[in-house]
Amino acid sequence: MITYYARCFAVVLLLTQPAFAGKVNGKLSSRLDFYPDHADGAASEGRSAEVKIDAFHDFEKIRIVGEFIFRGDEKDNGRRITEARQAYFRSPFAGFDFFVGNRQEFWGKAESKNVVDVINQSDAAANEGKSGKLGAPSISAERYLDIGDLQLWYISSFREKTFNDSDAHPSTGVPVSSAQYARNDGKDADDFAARLSSFAGDWDLAGSVFYGTARDPILSVNSNGSALNPHYALQKSIGFEAQYTGNVTLLKWESLHGTQSSLIGAHDFAAAVAGIEYTYYGAFETIWDIGLLGEIQHDDRPQAAANQFGVAGVRLVFNDIADSNFLFLASVDRKTDQSFVSLEASRRINDVTSVKLTSQFYNARTATSAFGQLSDDDAITLTLDIFF
Amino acid sequence: MKLATVTTFVTIASAVMTMAAIASPEKGLEIAIEADSRDKGFRNSTAQIKMILMDKYGQSTERAIRNRTFEGDNEGDKSLVIFDSPGDVRGTAFLSHTKKADSDDQWLYLPALKRVKRIASSNKAGPFMGSEFSYEDIASQEVEKYTYNYLRDEELNGLDCFVVEYDPVDRKSGYKRQIVWMDKAEYRVHKIDFYDRKDALLKTLTYEDYNQYLDKFWRSNRLVMINHQTGKKTELVFTDWKFQTGMTERDFEKSALKRTR
Repeated sequence: MITYYARCFAVVLLLTQPAFAGKVNGKLSSRLDFYPDHADGAASEGRSAEVKIDAFHDFEKIRIVGEFIFRGDEKDNGRRITEARQAYFRSPFAGFDFFVGNRQEFWGKAESKNVVDVINQSDAAANEGKSGKLGAPSISAERYLDIGDLQLWYISSFREKTFNDSDAHPSTGVPVSSAQYARNDGKDADDFAARLSSFAGDWDLAGSVFYGTARDPILSVNSNGSALNPHYALQKSIGFEAQYTGNVTLLKWESLHGTQSSLIGAHDFAAAVAGIEYTYYGAFETIWDIGLLGEIQHDDRPQAAANQFGVAGVRLVFNDIADSNFLFLASVDRKTDQSFVSLEASRRINDVTSVKLTSQFYNARTATSAFGQLSDDDAITLTLDIFF
Repeated sequence: MKLATVTTFVTIASAVMTMAAIASPEKGLEIAIEADSRDKGFRNSTAQIKMILMDKYGQSTERAIRNRTFEGDNEGDKSLVIFDSPGDVRGTAFLSHTKKADSDDQWLYLPALKRVKRIASSNKAGPFMGSEFSYEDIASQEVEKYTYNYLRDEELNGLDCFVVEYDPVDRKSGYKRQIVWMDKAEYRVHKIDFYDRKDALLKTLTYEDYNQYLDKFWRSNRLVMINHQTGKKTELVFTDWKFQTGMTERDFEKSALKRTR
């Protein structure tokens, strides 16, 4: 029901756009993908374009916010989307700020993976990392307390994870069939979550609880191998986050403990990320900053690509007028001998245009491992963003 | 020792003793405290800022920023900087809780991720938005962040000024010292020479077009920072100053960052 209202709200916002003069912003993104290792029959390249419109308006005490995505793709139907990532109104009531409609929220501290970030579903087909999310149709309330910030969430319906077409990238090459749910109400089952976050001195801390449908499905191949069946488990979990902010060193922790009930039974699970980030400001007597990143991921849920990954990264920030920066990340699972390497470089061309070059490389010893199934999905992507 | 040499020695020694007698840490601190007290009571303020970055060839590019400041009681001021342009950083917000003695607490809001990220504050010497202003240049100037030494009186632009040396307490500062020209009548800063860690002149900041608000608070509408070592220049042009708006301390809490528009 909230999704329906969010869609109506989106239409109203767009139709009343002149009333938002000066408060409507947009971004047009053109993207070219090249797949150097594509398998026979799979796409060798891809082209897509995305328009993102942001709008907000303040009434006396109420704010309405809209953030809409329209994405087209030349071939990949899975990437095409019309989405109200955010379409809500916010109003104060009884000491709380209430939000009704689609919202995007971020929980977490780590860089390579955020196991406690449970509110939104991933728009995985967009392949845009953490920013690729689907709006959560919800009623939420926030209150600033002496002990920290309290958030309460009711999410009224479930958004399924998006997948690329089987001949697109990244994909296992097998089509994804209709989803199945552990919960009787399926997509209509309600989710509940709460989080309390605070900081004291150099420490930022947060604790959260979640009861609802797990965001990542358990994927299994059907009996004749012609399709992947996504099955969404019921998840009850407790999350914990901590960050220590030193002068040049950050220490980060995220953990999620709980149970998942699915077709394969009820299982306790633990997922955690521990990390350290060291930044060398003004490196080599220049204005460059060099950040060194190390994280260890553990996740014993069946959805995880591996139980453990070691992640190492380097971030180079040039601090120039063009805001040039570069990020290298490598994730290695030594047990099953698989790895993932990503490179990202971006810079501003002028006040309204920026360009980003990203590349992703999968490597695996065995074809059946998670990254082995993505062996033809190495990608080099060029994105041009125009802001208006 | 020849008479001429003795005379020279005596002359130099007496000149050094005279300089030492004039230079005064106590008077420097008094001036800094008076300047600080004259700006007490503004409670909060907002302003629009146009940042103009110029390279050594005169080519320029602009940024649009909004600034909100909340005056601290026991601790330092809290400030929120919101970026409106260029497009790729639009909506990004930077929150700083200045501490008088300790390191500042700083957070960044990244609008694409809807993420509030705590960042290390030791990057104070780093450039702010690729400009010639560093993070410590734009941070709230608290009395406790420096030791002082009054150097001399000097006329600048027709104004009778104190010239005071500010020595940063924090070793992570990008500066060994700052030489500050402040007019005697209103205790307004008109010029600062920044010396790098090797004690070479790095930058000069000039404050222009002062206006008084609420019959008390002086604000410069144009700050020009020239980097002598690179030839680059950054101007900050302030407009639409507002004081004692309806903002509260909660508008400067970490949780308020993601509601910033």
